Amino acid sequence: MSELRKLTFGYLGLLALLALTVGSSLIDLGGFNVALNLAIAAAKAVLIVMLFMHLTGALPRLAVAAAGLWLVILFWLTLVGR
Amino acid sequence: MTNAAMPGTYLEEGSGPRAWLLTTDHKRVAWLYLISLTAFFFLGGAMAVLMRIELATPAGDLVSDDVYNRLFSLHGIIMVWFFLVPSIPATLGNFLLPLMIGARDLAFPRLNLVSWYVFIFGSLFALFAVVAGGVDTGWTFYTPLSTLYANGWVSTAAFGVFIVGFSTIMTGINFIVTVHMLRAPGLTWFRLPIFVWTLYATSLVMVLATPVLAASLILIVLERVFGIGIFNPDLGGDPLLFQHLFWFYSHPAVYIMILPGMGVVSEVLPCFSRRPLFGYKAVAMSSMAIAVFGFLVWGHHMFVSGQSAYAGVVFSFLSFCVAIPSAIKVFNWSLTLRKGEISFETPMLYALFFLALFTFGGLAGLFLASLAVDVHVHDTYFVIAHFHYIMVGGMVTAYMAGLHFWWPKLTGRMYSETSGRIAATVTFIGFNLTFFPQYVLGFDGMPRRYHTYPPEFQFWNVLSSAGAVVLAIGYLMPLFYLGWSLFRGARAPGNPWNATGLEWQTSSPPPPHNFETMPVVTRPAYDYDMKGLEHERFSPHQEEAAG
Amino acid sequence: MSGTESVAFDTPQRERRADTFAMWVFIGSEAMLFGAIFLVFLVAHIDFGPAFAAASKHLSLPLGTFNTAVLITSSFTMALAHMLAVHRRWRAAAWALAATSALGICFLIVKGIEYTKEISDGLAPLLGLPFRYTGPDPVHAEFFFGLYFTMTSLHALHLIGGIIVIAGMIALWPTSTPANRLRRVVALGLYWHFVDIVWVFMFPVLYLINR
Repeated sequence: MSELRKLTFGYLGLLALLALTVGSSLIDLGGFNVALNLAIAAAKAVLIVMLFMHLTGALPRLAVAAAGLWLVILFWLTLVGR
Repeated sequence: MTNAAMPGTYLEEGSGPRAWLLTTDHKRVAWLYLISLTAFFFLGGAMAVLMRIELATPAGDLVSDDVYNRLFSLHGIIMVWFFLVPSIPATLGNFLLPLMIGARDLAFPRLNLVSWYVFIFGSLFALFAVVAGGVDTGWTFYTPLSTLYANGWVSTAAFGVFIVGFSTIMTGINFIVTVHMLRAPGLTWFRLPIFVWTLYATSLVMVLATPVLAASLILIVLERVFGIGIFNPDLGGDPLLFQHLFWFYSHPAVYIMILPGMGVVSEVLPCFSRRPLFGYKAVAMSSMAIAVFGFLVWGHHMFVSGQSAYAGVVFSFLSFCVAIPSAIKVFNWSLTLRKGEISFETPMLYALFFLALFTFGGLAGLFLASLAVDVHVHDTYFVIAHFHYIMVGGMVTAYMAGLHFWWPKLTGRMYSETSGRIAATVTFIGFNLTFFPQYVLGFDGMPRRYHTYPPEFQFWNVLSSAGAVVLAIGYLMPLFYLGWSLFRGARAPGNPWNATGLEWQTSSPPPPHNFETMPVVTRPAYDYDMKGLEHERFSPHQEEAAG
Repeated sequence: MSGTESVAFDTPQRERRADTFAMWVFIGSEAMLFGAIFLVFLVAHIDFGPAFAAASKHLSLPLGTFNTAVLITSSFTMALAHMLAVHRRWRAAAWALAATSALGICFLIVKGIEYTKEISDGLAPLLGLPFRYTGPDPVHAEFFFGLYFTMTSLHALHLIGGIIVIAGMIALWPTSTPANRLRRVVALGLYWHFVDIVWVFMFPVLYLINR
């Protein structure tokens, strides 16, 4: 079943990204560590959303895009205030 | 003609407590909300009456300062979260949304019922807080007062609001999915009534904003109950951050409160001027714009709280921008009346009052959006006057308009038109008498949330308190004549106002699944006849004559 | 109207699409909830970076990493449960659900072990417990630990909710219709994966500040 292979590859990919994020955090890259970790976390999230959650269809994608945009608004305008 | 419920309608289908408390019919859920919300409205109103009695004299002689603090806090908490936020969506919205789009029910009827139970569960915490002595933090729960110093039932009240927030989110999800997926054949987005557009926009705000309120409140509870320092400056916490989270929700929340009212007015004005709504697309799009822009302005509540001046400028500019879609609507509503055949039934009276009072309150908002002016009037009665003009003069007035407009559809009865017109006029007079003096008081410098004041403010305070009595009478009157109509009102036909809209194409009250045959839509939304002037206008006598 | 839960829908297919859409909207709202909490942490981290970095080292990296792997695996088994349900292999799907909840319980047990150690080490500034931090800047380290307990306990509460619902689903499995089984697996799966995504962000944000 190709579905099973997709899921397995996704799972292994997630574990690999976990190893990457832990491993890279043991190396001192200064401020880049945090950015890299967040990027890896975002990559894991994309894997989970696309492979495990099957984000398909215009309406669900619109919901996710809206939530993403609204989080940006929340973070950005709050930090503007500091 | 008997007084029993008409056979074959949703009111007739099953009686007794179980049929109502376990219903999944959106029309019955609307009634559950209507009764609970009315009770909360009068509870919050009673607190306001006590406050106004205290403020009739400069000295603090009716209640102590601590009790006064609890009165205004509970007044705000109850009116905002236990009346205004759910009001039109959970009552008229629940009842009318499926009807207006030609559906048999909402997308998730059981979720709808659960949302009411969640509301009631949350309200138990709030009511307990009221009875046990209340909170004195203001409805705004600012830290570190609420987390470190306030005595009272802060955690209980905050938790109650937290729970009620989930009721709001459930309603929002239900409405969003319903509008996307259950419209009748031929009912494209731009044929939808504006009421549906505003409910949809409101639901977007509900779903995106309320969780942030939930986060802010749960952090207060954690800080108080578990002693974890989050907004505690001693540990490095930032009390202002609470205000960011709180107002990120609470400013959009005022649009949750007003958008459905704008939708109601958009239905009533065309009907009673026999004209299509002017600029339909502009009104629809501006509803969405209000929902989106409303999220960008929350810092205008914090101009003097310690955010940076740069942020102040940004939020001030954005606040001016958010006024534009509202103004577009006001212009379009006004132009709808032009060359219309206007009649002054009760719903129309309320709608016209809305137009005046909302505009007036909105203009005051522009003053508040100006940084320099806000420094002067922040935390004064000017702010109180502004938001009461919008919330009460706007929202509650629109709610009354909607209640009277759709009363025949909800109940199958007509109310006494004379009583309705008198009550509407009494509220208009009482409202202006109550709240216009508060603009003056605020501009003259009277601070809010004080139970005493210098004697030179007494004149306007007495006017305001007198107005409150008149306003209370105006709001009590419908209890009587609407209640009376349930037993003695004339039977309403399917379309007593000769209005457009799918909800009027079915009987009054509707059958359990709304339509005998599911409608197909081929006409635009406000298809009022512009040419002919001979319009049938329903009166109770006609119905009797027709038999 | 046949085969649909809600009287409003004409076909089960349309209702399923509505269910999925509704779950995504709900997930969007939950994202705003956790986003607000993350924002509180972010602001504090910006203000007190060095203190937070030093405090973060006191969290157990091995246990945190292990727990992250556990949750990722639980997402895998949940995705398997969905795949099996689509193919109508109901028994196998129920087993996959059971494995998911078992992994979730494993996560909670490990979290409990971490909490116990942190409390006994005096690193839990809650409920009036003594705070005995020996590194630099103990005041802001206390702030870090307060936020750590807040964020991880809110996540754990969501996980507990998911486990309870899985247990309920398994209990009702024999008596529920195939259509209902599939609907519930889809809905719960979306929720479970979302809670995993929250942890995927929480783990580096809390544990990997500066090792």
